[in-house]
Amino acid sequence: MKRKAYGRDSGLTLRMLATGGLLGLLYVVFGVVLFQALNFGLVPMLVIVIGLAFFQYYTSDKLALKASGAKVVERDQAPELHAMIERLCAMADLPKPRVAVIDTDVPNAFATGRSPKHAAVAVTTGLWQRLEPREVEGVLAHELSHIANRDVLVMTVASFFAMLAGLLTRFGLYAGMFGGGGNRDNNNNNVPVWLVVLAVSVVTYVLSWILIQMISRYREFAADRGSALITGAPEQLMSALQKISSEMFRIPQRDLREVEAMNAFFIIPASVKRTTSELFMSHPPLEKRLAALSEIAREMGRPVA
Amino acid sequence: MGLRDVLFGKKKLAGPAAERLFALTTASVTLDTECGLKTAGAGAICFKPLSAGEFVRAQSDLQQLLESVAAESGSKLEQRDDSFGYSWIVVRDPDLEDQVTSLHAVAQGLEEQGFGEQLLAAAFRFDGGKHPVYLVYGYKRGAFWPFVPTGDGQNRDNAEELELKAKLERELPIEQDLSRWFGLFDAPL
Repeated sequence: MKRKAYGRDSGLTLRMLATGGLLGLLYVVFGVVLFQALNFGLVPMLVIVIGLAFFQYYTSDKLALKASGAKVVERDQAPELHAMIERLCAMADLPKPRVAVIDTDVPNAFATGRSPKHAAVAVTTGLWQRLEPREVEGVLAHELSHIANRDVLVMTVASFFAMLAGLLTRFGLYAGMFGGGGNRDNNNNNVPVWLVVLAVSVVTYVLSWILIQMISRYREFAADRGSALITGAPEQLMSALQKISSEMFRIPQRDLREVEAMNAFFIIPASVKRTTSELFMSHPPLEKRLAALSEIAREMGRPVA
Repeated sequence: MGLRDVLFGKKKLAGPAAERLFALTTASVTLDTECGLKTAGAGAICFKPLSAGEFVRAQSDLQQLLESVAAESGSKLEQRDDSFGYSWIVVRDPDLEDQVTSLHAVAQGLEEQGFGEQLLAAAFRFDGGKHPVYLVYGYKRGAFWPFVPTGDGQNRDNAEELELKAKLERELPIEQDLSRWFGLFDAPL
């Protein structure tokens, strides 16, 4: 029997469905208003939208790896990491994803890829060096659960219209700036079309952003649960999370002179590029994740303090 | 940076915030009594030398500056270059206060010579713990941070560093953003 999700949490499932439903409803309203206001022809609009969605969907893994500066490593370059991921994949009944490494001191990891067959897991060198192997295992199992739960697909769909709304906001602004949207003949009321589009887009963007953050947090809880079930030991992920978010690991291991020299070549100063810790914004607060994990530990009969 | 600088894209390199360096002299008692750390008799300033064209003139000016500071303070001064392409002026003096004063004089002299924006950091070495302790002063930030290399590659004793932060915070301006606590491995002091 093939497992589809790891463990059940009916409350979480319900909240996920409710949020997803709200987001869907929002997008339908957005689409209808857009269609009415723009008089754009449904077919070209759909073609553009679906085309963009597919482009984003198919390039997501490569984009994410490129953007984070991760390098795909083969088995001989990181034998222990490969072995650990293979073991976990066997447990989770997943095909083995590509393995990538990001060269930075900050301990972190992410998973990407549109489907389990086209997935990649990236870990930072800091994660590998600063955490115990069992803790790394907990983090990797969390990322593999993201792959098993198809979170990239979910988030792509969820955020796609938000992106479109963002684009249209900008588009509406330009249309307003360069003389009124070009839709002069059916302006029977006083409000110009571009203003309607702009307003609706802004509202959609803000609301969908909030909903997406919520969905993202629910998926994190689900992946934490997945990690606990794959490794059978939620306390591994708990101590890993505590370590990752601890202040101590924000102290860099790099040399000041090295960093200053790099600043000359990068557009963003190295000291401002705290990329990885900002990823945690879409994550639930640590205490809630720890509480949820110790609840799972109790369910599994492995109580942790 | 004001709004006008943002609008016209005129962000300048941060100038040096030299004055807060003197806070170290007031913290020296706490360092001694609470942390058990005594100066190792050396402090240094690290800066990026100018490019070739300016170099010869600057070099002779620098030599003059070092001689005048040494004559005034009685500290020993020497210039070192490191593998990162930075120059160091190392001040050797048994007294921490004299180290600070001499280094401040050197920093001021460098600033007058147009090196101000090139000043990177000052570092003071203390002994008495398990590992040598450095207090690094970032000129761009105007704040201190502790740096305790364990001598094993680029590893640092983070626990010791955080303890020092807690103990010194009341007397020293400590850099609050921990991700800026960059190290100065193999500093020549």
